[in-house]
Amino acid sequence: MSRLEIGVRKSWPGFTLDVEWQAGDGVAVLFGPSGSGKTLTLQCLAGLVRPDAGRIVVDGQVLFDAAAAIDVPPQRRRVGYVFQGYALFPHLTVRQNVGFGLRDRARAERRRRVADVLGRLSLETHADRYPRELSGGQRQRVALGRALATDPALLLLDEPLSALDLPLRQALRDELRTILAGWGMLAVLVTHDLTEAYRLGDRIVVYEEGRVIQAAPRSELLWQPSSGNVARIMGLRNLLQGVVLKATPERIQFRWRGQTLEAVNSPTHSYLPAPESPLGFFIRPEYVRLIRKDRDRVDSAHHMNLMSGTIVHEVDFGATWTLHFRLDEPGSPAQGEYDLEVEVPRLVYEILEIDRDRHWRFSLHRGSIHVLPSA
Amino acid sequence: MSPDSISALRLSLQVAVAATALNALVGIPIAYLLARRRFWGKSAVDLLVTLPLILPPTVVGYYLIVLLGRRGVLGAPLYELTGWTVAFTWYAAVIAATVMALPLLVRTVRAAIESVDRDLERAAYTLGRSELRTALEVTLPLARNGILAGLVLAFARALGEFGATLMLAGNIPGRTATVPLSIYTAVQTGESGEALGLVAVLTLLSCLVLVAANQLGPRTV
Repeated sequence: MSRLEIGVRKSWPGFTLDVEWQAGDGVAVLFGPSGSGKTLTLQCLAGLVRPDAGRIVVDGQVLFDAAAAIDVPPQRRRVGYVFQGYALFPHLTVRQNVGFGLRDRARAERRRRVADVLGRLSLETHADRYPRELSGGQRQRVALGRALATDPALLLLDEPLSALDLPLRQALRDELRTILAGWGMLAVLVTHDLTEAYRLGDRIVVYEEGRVIQAAPRSELLWQPSSGNVARIMGLRNLLQGVVLKATPERIQFRWRGQTLEAVNSPTHSYLPAPESPLGFFIRPEYVRLIRKDRDRVDSAHHMNLMSGTIVHEVDFGATWTLHFRLDEPGSPAQGEYDLEVEVPRLVYEILEIDRDRHWRFSLHRGSIHVLPSA
Repeated sequence: MSPDSISALRLSLQVAVAATALNALVGIPIAYLLARRRFWGKSAVDLLVTLPLILPPTVVGYYLIVLLGRRGVLGAPLYELTGWTVAFTWYAAVIAATVMALPLLVRTVRAAIESVDRDLERAAYTLGRSELRTALEVTLPLARNGILAGLVLAFARALGEFGATLMLAGNIPGRTATVPLSIYTAVQTGESGEALGLVAVLTLLSCLVLVAANQLGPRTV
């Protein structure tokens, strides 16, 4: 059951936001490049921006409906908002910031509630400090606490980690995940970082230029981007183009760079392109399997989609090596200087002595070639 | 110092304090609206409030007479109703000083309000505060130094106001003759000792105001 339904449109000179998506329990992540309308969507949800048309429903309560002239003001939407940069009140202490939304509660209840929130977020010892005296991580927790103290029906988080340095960012990402899971509330989080989207989101809504180009559960998005556009925005590598030979609901055979490859047809978007039509697909670099020359006997049952090529370029990333392969097939490579990017763990690189041996055969399981429906 | 000089000094302070209070009352809401709202006629309001900064004070005084004089647009009905007119009373001096000081206050306060992060106001709205309460609890406290600086400037401007006051309030010793007007009279009648004393006092006061304004500086919170 979806607890959040939004379908809104608003035009500014030079930009139009026109989005529609739903979310159930847990965290929905709005993912996409800067300027694609993610923050504006949060502001529509909070009632800070008024759409030209559309409808917003949270937990059965209509917050906005242009047709019925309903527009609940931000003060009465029961929405908690964690702003980018946190927007903590600089002239108030941590305690006053957290208690800011509880003004109409009885004094005793307010005090109890603030103490409870400060305790859950480990902020008791900083209760009487001012925001400027806090670290980035503490500020984030104060912003979160201030929004959560009012017990909102919906929590909005705008790039909650972007103000932090990288090491802290990773630690706090997991902390935020624990906090959100612990509170168990409906939340919408905006990010342009794919790792963050995957770590924090149960459902991911991909934005581009004011529109939604895909909304799907996290796992589905990872393996089945609905189009080449989504795959590009997600920063997927080895995004390639082939020509269909034969398509069945289970398998798709296609040609690419002189090879005949076979892929599993997408289980949810099973579709049947006509032979000779173009086919977009992507191969995750870490799923390409190098064949050991000393041990593995090459047989087609084990080694589907067999190819061979030479390493033309490599990059050491510490824990992994990225290798750029050029196929033995003549003709110009698919991605400029190379055909395929392959990623191997450092240990594999050392055991196979890849630094000395530059020519390899490799295979791809048919489940590791991901077919993209044409847009 | 002569009794006339002392009464001029007392009157000047009285007028400047009243004009500053009126500025706070009228100018801060205008500055807020100009900084945060979009409304019909906004640029006209902006122009009207700024005009006294550019116009010769006597021209402003002339408009005030047209508006508030005994035969003025507002002054005539008021006179018919009550038999009282604001012209040539110390209230007239207050009004003239208020109008002349308003641009300084509004411009300073508006800039201070505009420098407050709008996300802070948005945060207050989502936490249940009305726009008025948000202005009182968040925006204005954070613009405090700019507001104080604006009030100090308005006070200084009101203290030194001459032209518009002369037009609307006249130069009646003990009633509307503020320090700048008394200096003028003293010089005209050759009482140079009297003039020197008042000039010294006004210079000293202005210096104090400037020092106070510098102390406020940019907001540090």
